[in-house]
Amino acid sequence: MLEIKNINCSITDSDLNILKGLSLKIKEGETHVIMGPNGTGKSTLAKAIMGHYKYNINKGDILIDKESILNLSVDERAKKGLFLCMQDPTVIEGVSNSEFLRTALSSKTGEKVNLYSFITDMEQSMKDVELDSSMLHRSLNMGFSGGEKKKNEILQLKVLKPKYIILDEIDSGLDVDSLRIVCDNINNYMKENKEASLLIITHYPRILEYLKPDYVHILKDGKIRKSGDISLALEVEKEGYTSINVMS
Amino acid sequence: MNKILYVIDDNSNNNYKYEITEDTIIYHFSINSSNNVEINLVNENVNLYYYYNNINYDDNEFKIDVKHKVGNTHSELYNHGVNVKNNKLTYYVNGIVPKESAKCICNQENQIININDGKSTICPNLLIDNYDVDSNHGAYIGRFSEEKIFYLMSRGINREDATKLLLNSYLINSDSIDLNKIDKFIKEIEKI
Repeated sequence: MLEIKNINCSITDSDLNILKGLSLKIKEGETHVIMGPNGTGKSTLAKAIMGHYKYNINKGDILIDKESILNLSVDERAKKGLFLCMQDPTVIEGVSNSEFLRTALSSKTGEKVNLYSFITDMEQSMKDVELDSSMLHRSLNMGFSGGEKKKNEILQLKVLKPKYIILDEIDSGLDVDSLRIVCDNINNYMKENKEASLLIITHYPRILEYLKPDYVHILKDGKIRKSGDISLALEVEKEGYTSINVMS
Repeated sequence: MNKILYVIDDNSNNNYKYEITEDTIIYHFSINSSNNVEINLVNENVNLYYYYNNINYDDNEFKIDVKHKVGNTHSELYNHGVNVKNNKLTYYVNGIVPKESAKCICNQENQIININDGKSTICPNLLIDNYDVDSNHGAYIGRFSEEKIFYLMSRGINREDATKLLLNSYLINSDSIDLNKIDKFIKEIEKI
């Protein structure tokens, strides 16, 4: 279980809290959605869970399987099963996609990954996400379209097989076909890995037509103000955030 | 490319002079050395690509003059250094286009990564005396981007291995480099 317990979070070198007493429990196999107005702390939450250097958690705790991860480095958190699909994946010129994935995989398994078997294994995964196999040899995210970047995040997910997946606006910048491909792959992953859980951060309920949530939460002013099922997301779509009756 | 040169130096002070008469790539891998390089582009329509990749432990200087002695010549310099210890590393990079050399392209990109608290300096100079020239320069001194390190670590790669990945891509910054020819330099990267 991933448990966020009453956290306050600020940007490093600032006293201003972006998250203010946020709590959330995500059990195995569950899919949670966080929606909320711009600037309310959704991406901050995703990055804070992952241990991003720009964010400080100055109150509360984050636990995986009842153990605090706050003192763990970013890579140690990833090894605990956390995976953040980023809104705007970082471009790294000169580090090839295959080199990166192979290093990540061998970091996870603790064993050196043979290049030939790795490339062979990757072929099916590349086909699944409809990425051309030549993209394995290109610099990481460099010159990738918005859709290709998101598919590449899903490719990494398929290779690294994490348990706690955070999708930070995975639907932004995707055309309808790419959104379907991304979501089909996530659904297949969830079917094959029953213990995996999802935290989806989004502005639009469209993605929820593909990824069926168990819970929808509205984040406002750094705190979860209302929780419900998919009908809450549809209400937001129809009425906007201002008309949603939230807890004060 | 007509001509490809590999240069590797190690703990030495060197002077190099090249007369560029045909399209040329020079891959210069330098380990803890001071280098003085003079390059003259002497034939019209020649292209020069110069890659200087440098690992530094002591106080060292790299000075390069690229002179476009005739018009319609093209130079691209990529100077990448890693300053490992608390020492001084200085780059003087001069692109020179005299008045009689029109329609030249003269570009340079310079970076030094400080691993510790070394004092690094880059002096990127474009000495252009002709109005019909396309010329750019860039210089960066600092550390590897924390955002890149974060991205790599978020996939389970520890900081040391993430830095190693970035170092390799930074110091071996062209897909065309024949790795068999720079074995010594690759082993030196491993030591950083």
